Amino acid sequence: MGLLTVLKKLKQKEKEIRLLILGLDNAGKTTILKRINGEDISSISPTLGFNIKTLAYNGYKLNIWDVGGQKSIRSYWRNYFEQTDGLVWVVDSADRPDRFADCKLELHGLLTEERLSGASLLIFANKQDLPGALSSEEIAELLDLKTIQTHHWQIVGCSAVTGENLLKGMDWVVTDISKRIYMLD
Amino acid sequence: MSRRAVVDVTPDAVLKFNKPTEKFLCPVSANTFIEFLEFRIRDVESNRAMFEVKRPSHEIDWNARDLSGSDELRKISYTFPAEFLSYKAIGTTLVFAVCPAGIKNFRMIERHYFKNRLIKSFDFTFGFCIPGSVNTWESVYTMPPLDSDQIQEMIDSPDQTMSDSFYFVDDELIMHNKASYRYST
Ligand SMILES: Nc1nc2c(ncn2[C@@H]2O[C@H](COP(=O)(O)OP(=O)(O)O)[C@@H](O)[C@H]2O)c(=O)[nH]1
Ligand SMILES: [Mg+2]
Repeated sequence: MGLLTVLKKLKQKEKEIRLLILGLDNAGKTTILKRINGEDISSISPTLGFNIKTLAYNGYKLNIWDVGGQKSIRSYWRNYFEQTDGLVWVVDSADRPDRFADCKLELHGLLTEERLSGASLLIFANKQDLPGALSSEEIAELLDLKTIQTHHWQIVGCSAVTGENLLKGMDWVVTDISKRIYMLD
Repeated sequence: MSRRAVVDVTPDAVLKFNKPTEKFLCPVSANTFIEFLEFRIRDVESNRAMFEVKRPSHEIDWNARDLSGSDELRKISYTFPAEFLSYKAIGTTLVFAVCPAGIKNFRMIERHYFKNRLIKSFDFTFGFCIPGSVNTWESVYTMPPLDSDQIQEMIDSPDQTMSDSFYFVDDELIMHNKASYRYST
């Protein structure tokens, strides 16, 4: 029995996937998480710490971590990198133009983090339901996604309010991760 | 009397327990780290709350907490309608405040028993908690399908479904709560 078989057995006990949802404050991270989980999204207050959901998804046990995005607590993000299989970066596609520079900087900063080096990257271009929202192509351009070569990535335009494309994004990230870590299945 | 528990109550030790403990394994005063703000149990399919407790305010005065609580306050007795046993998925939400110093490594282990047999065990590592933060964790789990004989047996055995919840900070037990469950028709 080779090492890979042993590793597979270990992980298989309970196929767990850890996702970390980050992004600037007000991007819609908590709303996306609640929406995916079938909860009421009408009263969401800013996240002053973390908000975790543990749920079953396509045969996996997903632990999804949504950590507050206010500037004052961004320095704590690094405490949640360990063992992350997928990073979900949420963008408010109708945000003020000056915030996209900050958004790009924070994202590219994360991609140089060693503890996130193996993670798949899903970018949610959220709030597509708003009239002023930029398209996912425009967001990809603003965030300079084409230069990313260190991570498997995908951008998906979505709306946490209508639910549009949320599952499409989740499916992509879970499938991409499972191909890597549960390769032998 | 020593503040320390008699046995060395490590996470590994707790994970070997196969029946409810007779006593609480740490004093109430061991918890200088967290304060529960809300606890909720919901039926996921209908998104209906089955049980809900909330503190009126999320503001905690960390210098004036009452740590003299009696053991009665660490025990809760739930009565659920019998339909509970046939729900497909249950979500339990815990909201808690963290002390101003923060926590390096926070972990919860919960052992559920029926008639002194282990039926379920949860082991969740929150890890780092931001100083002064408010955090939420919802765990959605699929209920094991029970046949009608099993359901009847559980209804006929009030308070024989029990759980012990253990909370650790840096592998040291800081809180131990107990619950018992009965199902009414
Ligand atoms: N129109 C619209 N508003 C959204 C969407 N997603 C989130 N919001 C709103 O944006 C605000 C911030 O959402 P929240 O989830 O708290 O953002 P977070 O700080 O990233 O967690 C809230 O008022 C949400 O109702 C969306 O897809 N469309
Ligand atoms: Mg939030």
